[in-house]
Amino acid sequence: MALLEVRDIAKTYHRGARSVPAIDRFSITVEEGEFVSIVGPSGCGKSTFLHILGGFESPDGGTMLLNGAPIVGPGPDRGMVFQEFALFPWRSVAGNVGWALEVQRVPKAKRLAVAAKYLKLVGLTAFADVYPGELSGGMKQRAALARVLAFEPRILLMDEPFGALDAQTRELMQEELNTIWQETRKTVLFVTHDIEEAIYLSDRVIVFTTRPGRLKDEVRIELARPRRIDVKKSAEYMAYRNRIWDSLRAEVLKTREETG
Amino acid sequence: MASPTAEYSQAQRLLLGLSLPVLALIAWELCARFMTLPSYLIAPSAIAATTWDMALSGELWRHADASLARALAGFAIGAAGGVGMGLLAGIARPVEHFYEPIVSLTYPVPKIVVLPVLVAWLGAGDASKIAVIAAGVFYPTFINALYGAKAVDRLHVWSARNMGASVVQVFFKVVLPSALPQVLAGLRIAFALSLVVVVAAEMQSSRSGLGFLIITAEDNIRFDLMYAAIIAVALAGFGGDRLLVHLRRRLLVGQMVGREGEHG
Repeated sequence: MALLEVRDIAKTYHRGARSVPAIDRFSITVEEGEFVSIVGPSGCGKSTFLHILGGFESPDGGTMLLNGAPIVGPGPDRGMVFQEFALFPWRSVAGNVGWALEVQRVPKAKRLAVAAKYLKLVGLTAFADVYPGELSGGMKQRAALARVLAFEPRILLMDEPFGALDAQTRELMQEELNTIWQETRKTVLFVTHDIEEAIYLSDRVIVFTTRPGRLKDEVRIELARPRRIDVKKSAEYMAYRNRIWDSLRAEVLKTREETG
Repeated sequence: MASPTAEYSQAQRLLLGLSLPVLALIAWELCARFMTLPSYLIAPSAIAATTWDMALSGELWRHADASLARALAGFAIGAAGGVGMGLLAGIARPVEHFYEPIVSLTYPVPKIVVLPVLVAWLGAGDASKIAVIAAGVFYPTFINALYGAKAVDRLHVWSARNMGASVVQVFFKVVLPSALPQVLAGLRIAFALSLVVVVAAEMQSSRSGLGFLIITAEDNIRFDLMYAAIIAVALAGFGGDRLLVHLRRRLLVGQMVGREGEHG
């Protein structure tokens, strides 16, 4: 049995008399320990899909099973990572990382130990007592990742997590996430518009059509693991890149025609 | 070298803040000594002397004490209601819709006008004054808490729910701290207002308090006494305000970092 089984998810938004279809009968299965990316043109409904999986929005139809149990609302079996970090500015970095355990009434000593463990994993040990407002974008996202890992969700749902970072930081963060994944073997569903990032990190890349989002293409990435960043220079990698870009290009062009 | 936006020292800041009142006082004092001023503009030195005497005799303290006790009681009741209801209205649409028309309708009415009704209902003692102060304090605290809670970042709430927080935990651990800056802004306005209302109420019906002192002094053409009481009100307001500013700095450490451009 796959860890995540999603069948025929559909979602339409209603704005006054106008209805905007966002997702059109999308299905996906993700195996335990697998890293799957969804790429698609902006506004194709890929973030909406992740919000539905997170339990923050409800689908119009379809079924979602996590470990065999239906997804009905938000819960700590799924760990959301947002592009905007969403750290609590009034709590220190350690306070943020221990927050989930705090609301689950885990004793303080245990909480601090868990926070310390994950801060070490993301390289923020020295910043435990600092407030998020003092961190750079990359450090904020590392803190957000530690916060989510700390409550040990079955699957990570990452919504363009590096989208707000500058190009250099983004590249470093990709490497870091790759290393962390190698260590933790978490199941990850990763939404991005960056093909290169998707190939480098993933076992499988799903291409979404333009709105309403539908499955357009699926590419298994068979680059050897553990992957070093120079894999991006290999011919194999370039072949994947071209293959996915060709698939995506038509969709991006369609979006352009629609929006002028 | 000082750039146009350079921070100046604490001493310079104090000097800047004191320059206008000090200059005004000096001008006033000089005018009082060398020109003929109307009787209600007594020399600041004379006012200071009266204030000092009254402080020593304990009379000023007695009245200030009575006023502050009423103001703080009304402030506490009004702020508890205003902040509590405001935060609830900010997260629950039905609560907001319940309060919206009544708040819009009654906010512009000076609360002091209902004092006679409250006196008839609660008696001429402290209860009616505390009630009218609480009514005055309710509005700014309610409105600020409402908008503070409405401005909560949706992603903060989502993250909290994702981490397994219950609705109650989201309220106390996300909505409340998010809204705190605006709640404190409301409390600052409300504290000043509580002094305004207590003085007005005491001027209408009371046998004690700074408002009573002011109206009695006016009736007896004792402008020195009147000014002494006014100074006491101003100092009480200043002290309370500083305390709230200090509290704000203590409570909002995280929210203030990385935003050096903001003062207060």
